[in-house]
Amino acid sequence: MTTAVLNEDTPGKRAPLVHGHRDFHAITETVAGIVEKKTTPSWVVLFSLAISVLLILLGSLGKLVAEGIGVWGLNNTVFWAWDITGFVFWIGIGHAGTLISAILFLFRQKWRTSINRAAEAMTIFAVMAAAIYPVFHVGRVWFAYWLFPIPNQMSMWPNFKSPLLWDVFAISTYATVSILFWYVGLVPDLATLRDRAKTRTRAIVLGIFALGWRGSHRNWLTYERAYLILAGLSTPLVLSVHTIVSFDFAVSIMPGWHTTIFPPYFVAGAIFSGFAMVVTLMVMARKAFGLEGLITIRHLENMNKIILVTGTMVGYAYAVEYFIAWYGGNEYEGFAFANRAFGPYKWAYWTMWSCNVFSPQLFWFKRIRTSIPAMFAISIFVNIGMWFERFVIIVTSLHRDYIPSSWTYFRPSMFDISTFLGSFGLFFTFFLLFLRFLPAVAISEVKGVMPAADPHAGHDDHGHDDHAEEKAEASESDESDDESEDSSDDESEGSEKDEEESNG
Amino acid sequence: MKRAPYPIQESDTSGKTYWRSLDELGDSPAFAEGLLREFPDGASEPPQGSSRRAFLGIMGASMALGGLAACRRPEEVIVPYTQAPEAMVPGKPLFFSTSIPMLGTAVGLVVETHEGRPTKIEGNPRHPESLGSTSTFIQASVLDMYDPDRSQGPRERGEGRTWDEASAFLRKLGDDARKTNGQGLAILVEDHRSPTVAAQIDAVVRLMPQARVVRYEAFGKEAALEGTKAAFGKALEVIYDLSEADVVVALDSDFLMHETSSVKNARAFASRRNPDRKDKPMNRFYAIEPAFSVTGTNADHRLRIESRKVTEIAYALAQEIAAAAKVELPAEITSAMSGAPALDPKAAKFVKAIAADVAKRNGAVAIIAGRKQPASVHAVVHVVHQLLGSVGKTVKFVKTIDDVKSGLSELAALGKDIESGKISTLMVFGGNPVFDAPADVRGAIAKAKTLVHVGTHVDETAAAAAWHLNRAHALESWGDLRAADGTGSIIQPLIAPLYGGRTDAEILETFVGGARKAYDIVRSTWRGPQTLVADFDRDFRRALHDGVWKDSAFAAETVAVQAAEVASAIKAQRANAPKGNVEVVFDPCPHTWDGRYANNGWLQEVPDSMHKLTWGNVAAISPATAKGMGVSDGDLVTVSANGVDVTLPALVAVGQADGTVVLTLGQGRTAVGRVGKGIGVATGATRTTAGFHVADGKVTKAGGSAKLARTQEHFLTEGRPMVHEADYVKYQATPQVVPAPKKYLSLFEEKSYENGHQWGMAIDLTACIGCNACTVACQSENNIPVVGFEGVTRSREMQWIRIDRYFEGKNPDEPTSVSQPTMCNHCENAPCEEVCPVAATTHSPEGLNDMAYNRCIGTKYCANNCPFKVRRFNYFDYTKDTIEVHKMHMNPDVTVRSRGVMEKCTFCVQRISSAKINAKVEGRERVRDGEVVTACQQACPTQAIHFGDLNDKQSVVAKDYSSPRAYRQLEELNVRSRLSYLAKIKNPNPELEGV
Repeated sequence: MTTAVLNEDTPGKRAPLVHGHRDFHAITETVAGIVEKKTTPSWVVLFSLAISVLLILLGSLGKLVAEGIGVWGLNNTVFWAWDITGFVFWIGIGHAGTLISAILFLFRQKWRTSINRAAEAMTIFAVMAAAIYPVFHVGRVWFAYWLFPIPNQMSMWPNFKSPLLWDVFAISTYATVSILFWYVGLVPDLATLRDRAKTRTRAIVLGIFALGWRGSHRNWLTYERAYLILAGLSTPLVLSVHTIVSFDFAVSIMPGWHTTIFPPYFVAGAIFSGFAMVVTLMVMARKAFGLEGLITIRHLENMNKIILVTGTMVGYAYAVEYFIAWYGGNEYEGFAFANRAFGPYKWAYWTMWSCNVFSPQLFWFKRIRTSIPAMFAISIFVNIGMWFERFVIIVTSLHRDYIPSSWTYFRPSMFDISTFLGSFGLFFTFFLLFLRFLPAVAISEVKGVMPAADPHAGHDDHGHDDHAEEKAEASESDESDDESEDSSDDESEGSEKDEEESNG
Repeated sequence: MKRAPYPIQESDTSGKTYWRSLDELGDSPAFAEGLLREFPDGASEPPQGSSRRAFLGIMGASMALGGLAACRRPEEVIVPYTQAPEAMVPGKPLFFSTSIPMLGTAVGLVVETHEGRPTKIEGNPRHPESLGSTSTFIQASVLDMYDPDRSQGPRERGEGRTWDEASAFLRKLGDDARKTNGQGLAILVEDHRSPTVAAQIDAVVRLMPQARVVRYEAFGKEAALEGTKAAFGKALEVIYDLSEADVVVALDSDFLMHETSSVKNARAFASRRNPDRKDKPMNRFYAIEPAFSVTGTNADHRLRIESRKVTEIAYALAQEIAAAAKVELPAEITSAMSGAPALDPKAAKFVKAIAADVAKRNGAVAIIAGRKQPASVHAVVHVVHQLLGSVGKTVKFVKTIDDVKSGLSELAALGKDIESGKISTLMVFGGNPVFDAPADVRGAIAKAKTLVHVGTHVDETAAAAAWHLNRAHALESWGDLRAADGTGSIIQPLIAPLYGGRTDAEILETFVGGARKAYDIVRSTWRGPQTLVADFDRDFRRALHDGVWKDSAFAAETVAVQAAEVASAIKAQRANAPKGNVEVVFDPCPHTWDGRYANNGWLQEVPDSMHKLTWGNVAAISPATAKGMGVSDGDLVTVSANGVDVTLPALVAVGQADGTVVLTLGQGRTAVGRVGKGIGVATGATRTTAGFHVADGKVTKAGGSAKLARTQEHFLTEGRPMVHEADYVKYQATPQVVPAPKKYLSLFEEKSYENGHQWGMAIDLTACIGCNACTVACQSENNIPVVGFEGVTRSREMQWIRIDRYFEGKNPDEPTSVSQPTMCNHCENAPCEEVCPVAATTHSPEGLNDMAYNRCIGTKYCANNCPFKVRRFNYFDYTKDTIEVHKMHMNPDVTVRSRGVMEKCTFCVQRISSAKINAKVEGRERVRDGEVVTACQQACPTQAIHFGDLNDKQSVVAKDYSSPRAYRQLEELNVRSRLSYLAKIKNPNPELEGV
């Protein structure tokens, strides 16, 4: 196994974070090339597909607003189902982005650089998809703004005791900080694009968004400070957002919801699902845009390790819930958990276990951890499993609560399904637009982790990054990176001054 | 354009000359011509040879102006009263007493009207059949009156006619009939209870002696009347006084729900179920029935056995009672009853125990035979009553209001005569015989040459009729009624007939050539020949005010047993007894009765007491039968009875006899309005005169299944302490039969509820029989929408008060059952209030959990967090398409909710406010106990619901709260609900323990 050599986990002997690029310029060409080249037919096909699904969402929401929440399958016992499941699902997906950008940044995990941009974008779009639900699941959408503490002539304030209100603050803060973080990170790369712009209009537009970036030392200094501060701000958000989302349930008195383990359990689950989604997206994106050299097996493997860890944590949480349900001696809670495993929704419960707890365990095997098809399949399983986790928590707890006479069985309607399906349309539409029009990989940051950027590079590897590249190439198996090598060969002709500067 | 023009001036020179214009003065020819025209030249002639251009110009202008017109708000005219009607204060309701015919009796009502619209029906406390309470059907009658699908006018063969034309036809029909002495004329009436109609029918018969009058009710009391006829020689109404009965035995009788005088009987029955009553002990109640009825669920002991076997049990019981009480049954009767096969051991034990119990009670016993039991059983029961000395104590007999022949044989004979052409004209007053008559007769009725149908709806009979005459509803016409015991009451209209309908009395008046109005006809009935006008007016006004005619109840008849008649009735019954292994019994539909309420949304949606089924009907089969056939709820089965098959969904009914299949009649109407269309399966084809109540039959699996709209899917408590029960004896020894209330601590600062009114409710589970009257009353009071079949299948019913039904016991065949009304508990620590992000649900200082509909945005979080799941969400805009007429029944004191908001029980906050306003007006600081009566409380026939101020230590509800029977659901959640239950106390017979 050649990768085994590359991925040796002794410090300093780790696989390089960038493959197939001889110099900085090649990186710029690869990443900016996606944005600047003509639209590929495959992108058009994918985008049309995404837009079509987005239209399904718009249609479903139109129907919902026109007729009422009744178009969904909710009933007098289960008042939340696919809506809030979808909400928590998407919020969870968003978590990986913040974690990669903020926490891994603070911990100096350099491998984050090639994936953080896309992961942050994913966060933003996931939060957008999530925001559909709290807005549209209310009975009177046109008054949804009452959730905000807007001063009014009646001095009516929201109820600050309600977890839903905390949600409003948590999510809006999260969305704001995520967007800021993402945008700040984009500034140097936007400047790069601006400088490469072929038309005047493009240069002006990009120039506006690049905020007059000139690549000066002062610029870099300010930028890195801002980035650090935002990373510091985002870090607690990773924990707080899903904690607060979990309060929606934990603060209630429903058996199955009212448990103190929810905050850590939800955060772990969120990171779990977020990383699974990043893997899903990155596996597709690196293939589609030829980014195999930047998003390497090492990146994916690292993420898989996190999936393994968080998946196991989630499994532990599942088990502990049962222990507490038994140990706590509350008959309603005991019933709620027995009902999950053996009641009418047992199919959902065991789907959840299989997808979330059993399938990631395969990542103990390095072969699986580094196999693209395997990790893709498992990441999809995890995504499904995490959707089911939220469904199980929400629906199975509600459908059989305290008073047996009001027990029901929830069945989704067509519009439950189409709304959820449609939210993927929203997500992918924006994600594809992002991939097409913005640098999907943080150019400047990746350059920073290249051996070329390290004044001490090559001490272990005979001095030159070229050597390192060659060695890597030599030892790499042929099948892995054909395309990227071709492209990097083409593009490594000349490097421009400003490129050098901007990586100063 | 012609018109009557200004008179052309003749030259008149007698006075001054006035002129209208200089042209006139000048007498110009143009003026003379203009006088003949309405409009000036060119204004009224169509444009000659109009050009395309002119056409477009005019059209364009019209369009533009049309648009302008559309911009205007519709004009609404406010017309003030030039003469204010008496006592009318806009915004304040007025209450009128009236009454309504209901299932073979009359029930006195007090109807709330707002600005001339009746909106809510309450019982009349002065009326013996109501005592202030009502039933589901009575509560829903107000909706029936506003039914937009009611017949809108007379019709001849489906063509609309005016009442003038209809009257001309009626008069001619009457004249023709009189010429032939009524030969070929038959009148079919229902159990109308109106002395006026009875008198008029008498008049018809006097004028036309050959005319035949027959009474038919699909679920009437023929068996009871024939029973008294056999026992005592004359058909008599049986009036029970269950408040005097120490032991009650129901023989296949649902006397608490679906028999005559159910409201009154339920009240009297419940008065003896109060374990805290000191003067009289709790009664003991045995029920012997084929399928769980509301009555059966309230029994201390219940024997499930096929309906046809109940008959033999009744005979055996009579003999055992006679033996135990040491009285002698007449020998003829004993010998007629002999030769019966031995009862199965369990039934035998049951019979022995009942007999021993009955014998001890010194005549304070009521044995009630049901409609499905043959006349012989009724007769035997009365013989037993007579022997035990119960007559005059717990049961009395009064005369019937008329001598009209009723019963199946009469109807069958009528059918035959129509077929043979002997009867050519059939007038049907009320009822829908083409739908609900036995299958072998209904064809004949439709064939009558001249079928005249008088009814509120264009139903199946109207469709077959030559003439349909639209009848006025009881709430919109003058009329009169006598209750089963003869108590008279006047029906006074609350509103002018909405669709111009007329009453039976008016139609009969026209038929015999009279021209009086309903009001005068009614007055003439009640005015005795000697009564002075002044006295009569006073009495009449008094009757209108009170809702009952003073001292009008019939005197009890003295009766003597005719043993030979009874014996022959028994023999006749034995000869005709059904012999198969499987019986099909026919029960009235809990939603539509015999089909008459099929277009009533409230009734269609009120879940039936046992199965919680709405919007449809089923074949109820026992769990063992279902298991044997491999059938579960909703699977289609084919039921055959009387040689006809009907396929409908099955429902596994616990506690049902294995040999019994229960079909209900009344759904599957074909000629019905928008609400009832396509609901349920018509089962009437399987019911014939031969097998009318009980028929031999069989049930087979048909394959396929159908959706059932049920409001409750889980009928077990899962061992949770939802309901507490105890035995009477145990309760008397140690009254603390529920876990003692505990004090729990709260993390939040505790609110103080020491001051002012603190509203609370208590529900006595011992008294609650589970009849649903509260549910419909609440729906009526609080403008609660109906969600339809689809809504209920999605579990989105909106009723604020629901009645949970739980079955208990290990054996699904022999369960006991309890019903538990549940509505918003108005928790002091309300979980819903904490989680609402916009503070739309908050606590009032008086301890009410209030909903601010305007503030609600519909996150539904409150409902998720409600442990009692009593909150109801407007998933759609249920009131958007409300028909104009339906808007009239809305209670103006209660907001009509829009879509997307949460709603729930308010403890009738509008009634609380009104009581507080009254107290304030009267200068009182506090509302007195009993001043606030919630809608559910008011409707409850057994007075199981108590409401009042918990801070008033003398109030009924405060006393309930301190009762050792009081418990609150889910107390351990520390929600501190304001809804307490009083544990259900049963009074089992120790001899029957373990049976």
